[in-house]
Amino acid sequence: MKRLASLTTTLLRDWFRNREAVFFALVFPLILLLIFSTVFAGGAAEFDLGVQNNDVNETGAPTPLSATFVDALERAEPLNVAHIDSDQDLSNADQIAEATGHQRVLVIPNGFADRVRAQSGRVRMAVIRDTITRTRGNLTDDQQTALDQLQANMTAQAGSGDSGSVEVTLLLTPDDDAAGAVESILDSVVGTFNDRSIGVEEPTTRIQTEERGAEGISAVGYFLPAFIVAMILINGVMTVPSAVASFKRDGTLKRLAATPLRKHEWILANVIQQSILAVGITGVMLVVAWAVFGVRVVPGPLSIALIVLGAIAFTALGMMIGGIIRDSGSAISLGGAIALPLMFISGIFWELDLMPTKLQQVAEFSPVTHYHRSLRQLLILDSTAGVAGTFGLLLGLAVIFFVGALFVTRWQEFD
Amino acid sequence: MAGDTPHSVVQVSNLQKKYGSTTAVDDVSFEIHTDEIFGLLGPNGAGKTTLVELLQGLRTPTAGAATVLGYDIQDDLYAVKDRIGVVPQSFHTFERLSVRENIALMRDLYSDPLAVETVLDRLDLDDYADTAFGSLSGGFQRRTGIAMALVSDPDVLFLDEPTTGLDPAARRGTWQQIDQLPALGTTVVLTTHYMDEIEALADRVALMVDGGIRAIDTVAALVERYAGTVKINVTLPKSTADGDDQIMTTLRQRARETHQPDSQEMVGIFDDQQTAQKTFSDLHGIDPNYSIELVSAGMEDVFLEVAGSTLDTAGNRR
Repeated sequence: MKRLASLTTTLLRDWFRNREAVFFALVFPLILLLIFSTVFAGGAAEFDLGVQNNDVNETGAPTPLSATFVDALERAEPLNVAHIDSDQDLSNADQIAEATGHQRVLVIPNGFADRVRAQSGRVRMAVIRDTITRTRGNLTDDQQTALDQLQANMTAQAGSGDSGSVEVTLLLTPDDDAAGAVESILDSVVGTFNDRSIGVEEPTTRIQTEERGAEGISAVGYFLPAFIVAMILINGVMTVPSAVASFKRDGTLKRLAATPLRKHEWILANVIQQSILAVGITGVMLVVAWAVFGVRVVPGPLSIALIVLGAIAFTALGMMIGGIIRDSGSAISLGGAIALPLMFISGIFWELDLMPTKLQQVAEFSPVTHYHRSLRQLLILDSTAGVAGTFGLLLGLAVIFFVGALFVTRWQEFD
Repeated sequence: MAGDTPHSVVQVSNLQKKYGSTTAVDDVSFEIHTDEIFGLLGPNGAGKTTLVELLQGLRTPTAGAATVLGYDIQDDLYAVKDRIGVVPQSFHTFERLSVRENIALMRDLYSDPLAVETVLDRLDLDDYADTAFGSLSGGFQRRTGIAMALVSDPDVLFLDEPTTGLDPAARRGTWQQIDQLPALGTTVVLTTHYMDEIEALADRVALMVDGGIRAIDTVAALVERYAGTVKINVTLPKSTADGDDQIMTTLRQRARETHQPDSQEMVGIFDDQQTAQKTFSDLHGIDPNYSIELVSAGMEDVFLEVAGSTLDTAGNRR
């Protein structure tokens, strides 16, 4: 036990004094966490929109229907609506921004409500006439005569008053890069408004929406567990084999093998060292996430156990690689060839939903996918869904890799 | 099996190590006595390092047996490791750790170690105790290696080429450290290709060539047996093509035997000082322009006699 403790302490000291190791294991994941969480924390973009409602009554108050339309605009999340007084004359304004203080302005014309009502009436009558025409064959002669009379009256009414759609005007500056996006949003709002004004409550066709991905998780909530796992993976599969190969090459390992230290103690000391580092660095990342992004995460015993188990499994894999490879550079290359593709296909750098379906299916075979998914469940979502399976998977891998490391690590017959 | 403290701390019997068709250690038998400095002398590739690594448990023998301190090197491997100290040929340790931390690590790996401060003091490393190993000069790195080996308070200390690459001052310093060890109860097994190192330190020496031990005894006995007591070195002028002139003829006639390491040099070995002295005067009288030296015979002459060649400074045969 004293041998194990002393060697673990030595390895920790050696690690903390190794600037490259500290950078790749601690600083690098922190930089990634800060960058990714910042880039993806912005959410959907917002577009400023000035609205001038000219459809007002004698007291200057907006008509109820125009107010409903403006309300619909305000409810559209990507739009940041600002109100422009109706007495502001924009008919001859060359510079919209100078006149209103806004890059783009939507003008609702006077008489908007009356024309919407008229147009709505025409559309409804057209629907009724169409219904009558379709059912005419099933009626008696008297019923048909009465309907003909009704249809004639409706046709006469529909033909009176203003005809055609109401036009709202979007005033844009020529260099407005977001014009297309804003027009799209307005099309959507107008479409919804039209449906409501016509009053067809039960449309024949519905659009079913389906949400996927990490619902309700912020960017840092997604990337924090992902980069904790990335840190453990990089440390275990890249840093450890490099260090082991280096110790092997410069004779340090041979020197240790000439002492009463056993081979399994050497492997175990490295595994314990990395487990301590994993917990410690996770703590640092949680503090940074709290300080920079305000995400307060307090890991429980299960999440700490999962972090340690992953560190054991991946460090044992690293010890296997280090046991096989003699050259430090080659060990890093082989470790990288394992770690980097695993991170890419496992959703470390982006959500799995953004990947092609085939790759998503492949990702399900990656232990890294299950590892950071379960860590997210425990750390961020406070749930244990799927966590038991991940514990089993990592435990199995830890045993296999540890036995493999014992098998390939030489304790005699050094080159 | 536990071993009583024997007179012979190392017993080697018909030990062999093969790598495929290559025999690195060939049927070697010898003993090492308590509290002596035992030298293992030979050229590079002679099998010295392989032999000591077999005794350290770092290699497994193909055939034969050996005990260290009464423990079998295969059956009681960790009992052996707990009582020996090792300074490998290409010694290295955690370079970012200080001297004290490296020694402390070694202390914690053994069952009955010395205090770190004791070893630091014994090897005059106190001033460098907190210096990172990687920042030390080659001499102090080697000294740290010896300190790391001594902190286990070993009964047998294996030193493999301990002064290779060191400057003369550092070599002398290391020799002083090694020389005092038997008095402190540590038997030293010194592997080297330096003749002067063996002459300065070893109580007994084994000459190892091509995997086998060709001779084993004290330095004085080996010199007397194989090299005589005095030798005359004659360096020929470059104009002399084959060296077959009067000086060479005289040397051949008077010396017990002669060797010619290269075309420009001839060595005559004499069994008594008086004959050698007279021959030396006569040779100078023949032609004073020749470079003629009268020197006492040493391990180099022994090696020349036993192996049929001598060694260069890098340890290669020539």
